[in-house]
Amino acid sequence: MDTITVSVYRRDPSLEKEGKFVDYEVPREEGMVVLDAMKYIEKHIDPSLSLRWNCMAGKCGSCSAEINYKPSLMCKARIDSLKSGKIRVSPIAAYPLIKDLVTDVSENWALLKRIPKFTPREGLEKPWRISQVDIERSKEFKKCIECFLCQDVCHVIREHNSDYFGPRHVVKAASLDMHPLDAIDRSEFMNKDAGLGYCNITKCCTEVCPEEIHITDNAIIPEKERAVNLSYDPLAMLVRSRRNKGGKK
Amino acid sequence: MVEIFDYDLVIIGSGLAGLRASIEAAKTGNGKLKIAIIAKNQLMRPHSISAEGGSAAVLYTDEGDSFDLHAYDTVKGSDYLCDQDVVEYFVRQAPLDILELEHWGIPWARRDDGRVAQRPFGGHSYPRATFAADRTGFYEVHGLYDTMLKYENIDKFHEQFVYDFIIEDNKFKGVTAFDIPTGEIRIFKARAGIVATGGLGRLFGYTTYSHLVTGDGLAIALRRGMRLKDIEFVQFHPTGLVPSGILITEGVRGDGGILRNAKGERFMEKYAPTKKDLAPRDIVSRSMMTEILEGKGFKGPNGLDYLLLDFSAIGAEKIKEKLSQVREIGNHYVGLDPVDSPLPVRPSAHYTMGGIDVTRTGFTGVTGLWAAGEAACLSIHGSNRLGANSTSECVVFGKIAGEDSAKWLLSDISTINLSEGERSHAENFVADAYKDKGDNDPYEIKRVLWSTMDKDAYVFRNERDLTEGLKIIKGLIDRSGKISISEKGNVYNQNLIASLEMKNLVELAEVVVNSALERRESRGSHFRTDYPKRDDENYLKHTIAQRANGGLQITYRPVTLTKWKPEARVY
Repeated sequence: MDTITVSVYRRDPSLEKEGKFVDYEVPREEGMVVLDAMKYIEKHIDPSLSLRWNCMAGKCGSCSAEINYKPSLMCKARIDSLKSGKIRVSPIAAYPLIKDLVTDVSENWALLKRIPKFTPREGLEKPWRISQVDIERSKEFKKCIECFLCQDVCHVIREHNSDYFGPRHVVKAASLDMHPLDAIDRSEFMNKDAGLGYCNITKCCTEVCPEEIHITDNAIIPEKERAVNLSYDPLAMLVRSRRNKGGKK
Repeated sequence: MVEIFDYDLVIIGSGLAGLRASIEAAKTGNGKLKIAIIAKNQLMRPHSISAEGGSAAVLYTDEGDSFDLHAYDTVKGSDYLCDQDVVEYFVRQAPLDILELEHWGIPWARRDDGRVAQRPFGGHSYPRATFAADRTGFYEVHGLYDTMLKYENIDKFHEQFVYDFIIEDNKFKGVTAFDIPTGEIRIFKARAGIVATGGLGRLFGYTTYSHLVTGDGLAIALRRGMRLKDIEFVQFHPTGLVPSGILITEGVRGDGGILRNAKGERFMEKYAPTKKDLAPRDIVSRSMMTEILEGKGFKGPNGLDYLLLDFSAIGAEKIKEKLSQVREIGNHYVGLDPVDSPLPVRPSAHYTMGGIDVTRTGFTGVTGLWAAGEAACLSIHGSNRLGANSTSECVVFGKIAGEDSAKWLLSDISTINLSEGERSHAENFVADAYKDKGDNDPYEIKRVLWSTMDKDAYVFRNERDLTEGLKIIKGLIDRSGKISISEKGNVYNQNLIASLEMKNLVELAEVVVNSALERRESRGSHFRTDYPKRDDENYLKHTIAQRANGGLQITYRPVTLTKWKPEARVY
């Protein structure tokens, strides 16, 4: 039988100080993805393997891991797209480990809560009229499935103990700021409170995004630019005060 | 260690219905109610995110749509098994609630004049599916989740596996669960609860459902003596992608996609001359299986013979704009870009029309307990749901359950005391589950269950298959009590979860197959080859299944008709 070898990180922090990689032989099937291999291990070789997964269709954002060192969704990583040889699967490293491939990403829930919410302009005639072009602009960011791969790959988050919220949260702010009827601007918050200044635009987040959101070009850079303009440019400040009064177009 | 929480309201499930209920309960309670929302997954990843095509609502009465038309479409789609009073209420409420979502940031697609756009959907005689590309449910979930975050008095509990409801003397007192990341037992004491745990789709192997939809809420309700209604009616969505079963939205056909057999024929012209590919799902699925059984399909892997969904009439531009996710799924999972190639499809288990028997406000009959969304059966969908009606139902009736339960809580002054029996049952449940009771493998039981359901309770059913299936399922129920959970660690123990889910599934399978066996007629999604006609004289009634005296009791209840008398269902 044609098989593949997967080397999977194993550790139960409640019992073990150190983790280890364990090799498993899994039958190769056409079109299989890394998650199929993990499920095979759980069902047929070692039921103690823990992983978080759900939809198997790249929509729920549960099964984030590092596959051959690259942050990826296990349900989308096709075995035949990986270079031959042993496949290395480890948990995303930016977050505390719960067990094996499962990490505690809950600090993101608290960060998301701090970003100012959608605040529609007052006095709009109902039902609202919005052009499709404007809908598309905010929809790109709303596609985010919260897999946190962008957070995982971000060297600011991985290597520095900064107060940068991370790319996912800039995308969230952008999704609200780009809504044509939203009345507030989050760029100042993102810069002052969410540490956006720490991002030095290496674009790693954009590269790993399974939803192909242009995180750096369309979310981070515009949020940075707006913050700078709003903070230091008197003309922009005037525009901002007008926009807040009259609503932005 | 057991941790005990004290709440006024506990909402189980964080899909569209649960989220919507939490918001409305918080609003109605106006800061006076302590609310918990708990789910076995991370809260923002419910199965509702997989809803693709749209949410039905009458928005343009000036252009020819009307409440009566939406209601009639729904009634006819249900093959007359819905309760028409509830449907009439639903269609009037849906537009208000769907437009409200826009104020919570949901990016509805637009017409050229900036007003909300709608797309055609199967069985609807007017294009009334309000949509946000082909990820409607996803955007709805995230919009609702964000809105929920505005309310300070809703506590959020991710990854809690609920294994029981506490009900004493027909009064709800809370739920028991374990925290998946730590294994810690938790009792959520609450004066009221809303069950929003979704359907039972993972009874089937070939399905569009996420892994987590294992009918936990329904199975617990059954064990606790509550009534399940019309549970034999399972919708098979015509276009599950072969071989995974992943959903390809009906929006494809709404936008002009065509089903073809191996000869290239547009076979739906034969079965539904007027609506063709946009006939209701039960009819399209049956027509597809007829073609496949007549040998006009393509040979597929593992017996999954299939037909083709042809995108060519839609055009590359429109596919890229309105069906981007379908395109990505095609490219990624079968290596086919619908812009140049049709996709292989076959009917895939998709929706549970039945559920916990509730009144129009979602009340279950157990004091303090409501249900909403797919877990509930309000009898809107009868024996076959129309596409785009489920997300609307979740929003409309999630809201009502939230409001109704909160109002009741504000007027109810009782306190909850747990009996010693309930407390020790809660505490010992997991320890008991870990005890070795035999050498059966829970994963293997699930595999047998899947192959049985896929074969015996699929699109075409008959006495012999159902009887045979029931025998196997009873054997599985027996085996499910004789398993060993080999992994006994506390932390993120999926082996334990898989075993408990498997138990829930096999017990529900018995109800589905039994109810199907007893319904000796063909109606909506339930087609009996040995009774191929609808039989209004004997079966224009709801099936009610309930555990009683150690067995399963099946009784019936009349259907509520208002304006529309049953007639032949032609499309």
